Amino acid sequence: MTIPLDYTENKKPMLFQKQISESDSVIDVEKYRLDDFYDEMISSDQEVRPHYKNLSYELSKLSKADFMRKCKTVDQSMLMQGITFTVYNNDEGTERIFPFDLIPRIIPYSEWQAVEKGLEQRIRALNAFVHDVYHDQKILNEGIVPKELVFGAKHYRPEFCGCHVPKDIYIHICGTDMVRGDDGQYYVLEDNGRSPSGVSYMLENRSLMKHVFPSLFLKSGVLSVRDYTKNLLRTLQHIAPENVSEPNIAVLTPGVYNSAYFEHSFLARDMGVSIVEGRDLVVQDKKVFMRTISGLKPIDVLYRRVDDDFLDPDVFREDSLLGVRGLVEAYRAGNLGLANSIGTGVADDKLIYTYVPQMIKYYLDEDILLPNVETYLAMDDKQLQHILDNAEKLVIKPVNESGGYGICVGPHASKKEIAKTKESVKANPRNWIAQKPISLSRHPTWCEGKLEGRHVDLRPYVLYGDEVRITPGGLTRVALKKGSLVVNSSQGGGSKDTWVVKNES
Amino acid sequence: MMLCRVADSLFWMSRYMERAENTARMVEANLQLMLDSQTLGLGPVDEFWSPILGSMGDDIIFNKQYDQMNNQNVMDFLVFNRKNSSSVLSCVIAARENARMVRDQISDEMWEITNRLYHMLFKSSSYAVGHSELYDQLRQVREFSNLLVGATEGTYNHGTGYLFIKAGRFLERVEKTGRMLDSKKHLFLFDEADSTLIINLEAVLRACSASTAYQQTYDADLTLKNVLQLMILSREFPRSMLFSMNELQLAIHGISQCPITHFSNEAERMCGLMISKLNYASVEEIIKSDAHTFLMDIHHMTQKLTLKLSREYMFFDIVDPAAEAVSQ
Repeated sequence: MTIPLDYTENKKPMLFQKQISESDSVIDVEKYRLDDFYDEMISSDQEVRPHYKNLSYELSKLSKADFMRKCKTVDQSMLMQGITFTVYNNDEGTERIFPFDLIPRIIPYSEWQAVEKGLEQRIRALNAFVHDVYHDQKILNEGIVPKELVFGAKHYRPEFCGCHVPKDIYIHICGTDMVRGDDGQYYVLEDNGRSPSGVSYMLENRSLMKHVFPSLFLKSGVLSVRDYTKNLLRTLQHIAPENVSEPNIAVLTPGVYNSAYFEHSFLARDMGVSIVEGRDLVVQDKKVFMRTISGLKPIDVLYRRVDDDFLDPDVFREDSLLGVRGLVEAYRAGNLGLANSIGTGVADDKLIYTYVPQMIKYYLDEDILLPNVETYLAMDDKQLQHILDNAEKLVIKPVNESGGYGICVGPHASKKEIAKTKESVKANPRNWIAQKPISLSRHPTWCEGKLEGRHVDLRPYVLYGDEVRITPGGLTRVALKKGSLVVNSSQGGGSKDTWVVKNES
Repeated sequence: MMLCRVADSLFWMSRYMERAENTARMVEANLQLMLDSQTLGLGPVDEFWSPILGSMGDDIIFNKQYDQMNNQNVMDFLVFNRKNSSSVLSCVIAARENARMVRDQISDEMWEITNRLYHMLFKSSSYAVGHSELYDQLRQVREFSNLLVGATEGTYNHGTGYLFIKAGRFLERVEKTGRMLDSKKHLFLFDEADSTLIINLEAVLRACSASTAYQQTYDADLTLKNVLQLMILSREFPRSMLFSMNELQLAIHGISQCPITHFSNEAERMCGLMISKLNYASVEEIIKSDAHTFLMDIHHMTQKLTLKLSREYMFFDIVDPAAEAVSQ
């Protein structure tokens, strides 16, 4: 049966967009409140910054109702695609989407190039440091980084001293947490050199944005992020054992109940490699194999998303069911590439972090490009006193926690909380540092029907294989709660698509 | 190079989805029948459901949880009860959990269909049997199961993974069609023209989406002989036991690449034995010699086959609660 031609006549495409009044449009620059913070989009004289002009123009043509419809589409699509993480607060974990704010964060290309240089410098220095720590320990012997800091670090693995790792690379995948202060300068908060997560959100956010705002991409000149998985694959291929020409690569996950499982399977699929759990692997004669329907097949490289502690019950935690017996033996024997390597946590220790500028000087003979946040170590008596005296002005952080837990933000904390934290610091100074609070930059964010400023950070992803490759942008995390500085997904954070744009106006 | 765990998940993903669909149809068909129970004189409600639950091996679990075998309780148990591991909801959850484990292997379409059904069903609470939403939900389960089959056909490589999916689907069909028939075994002794027998046969056909196939093959008159012929021995109807076994054989021989004139493992041998049993059976003999025994024989052989298949390829112990319940 053919459909008569006039069937579609009633549905002519709209050629002219209807006019939208300012009060009805998504953005109203004049009424947007800066509250004395550095805003990524609006300058202090209430003007849209040049690299945001395109976006601002497009948003001014969009009505709130249309915008909210797009938000809904995106949320629904994330749920249906299973872009979720699991929160365990009752017997059966609930699946949540990581809230995604549709207003993108934009970084001009020239600014990004500077960031890129700084990140490359850091990862080179950090790798040189880890290599040194597990071999000659020159930097320790020369007293540039205190020995006791390294030997006392939670993630230091003395059993790996003298162990050769493929191509001498330890940190292959690094997610560096950065913020921008009210001076407009980027600072590094921490280098995540163990197994940084969130990169799948960076990729998915972009693909969702392209679906709901195709028009924005036409003229903005946004640099693509889609090479990330290809580059990750290259990085992993680079660390295959010497004699293997076509390495068999797999992603090692703790399993389907891990909160980041979506990301593990996303990366495996995009790279076209297997995703394996500990129970899929066996080690025989210091070689790792996976159990397939046609018998055992060798594995050459593992991108492991399992912590050191759980990797191999023979070497680390005996009670671990996630790991593979004999895996470390195979790694030591040079029959396996492992990303990241074991013991890299020594480089992202919050105390050792304070010595990154010295590392850069020592190994590269360069000055640091991306500065650290000014940090006080409680283990030093003088600095301890300073921390205790100024607790209400400082951000006090436990050294070995992640996910934003245990942080005491002095200016926002209650007296009781500060007192409690001070006690903990006194009881175990090695476990604590304090930083001057940086008034994190803010970004227009959709909050209950209008745009308001919310604090953001930035986590770019750095890959270190045959060369250093950095995906333009990264994951922008946003603290959705008003006034909050904590951007972690477990504590009310959301994310934004991050654009590095070449056409700057 | 397919991981054993992946093979296992693909097999069970497809099997659980098929099971959800079959249970949904079975509940729908029998509830519809119950709507007419007073005019039809079907007798007490519990006498109607009891053999159905019995054939599924669920009667013991049911009696532990409910004090009365009425329509509402049985429906709740078979559709929404999460403590019943073979309820529609439990099966959908299990299918989706397996799909999630192989999310990187299956196509986007396959995953989204499974995930959407899960979210849709998970949100809804139990309905009253008189509520029309209930029938919408059951219809959706059937539709999504068909969508998954279609998406698998159209978007997924027809390689080893596909064969495991197919094996899971057809093994479940042999099982379910067998049980559906067996749940009405007490009626097989009735007179050919008995109205209770006829309407129950009608329900069986509806429960297996076989009404149209029946009308095309025979005519509007329902007879026990024709129904059994269609459901057990048809080489054309895609839910008959013989048809399903033939497809299963093609799938598992596809995996091993061993010709079907030979066998390379115990699962294949068992499969061949079952096919020859069905292939050369006649419906008259089945009725004369006791259909129940015949169906039970097949049932036990399917269980053995599943076990052998699992040992051969998946190296995991089978955890299929429904199978365990029956063998106890």
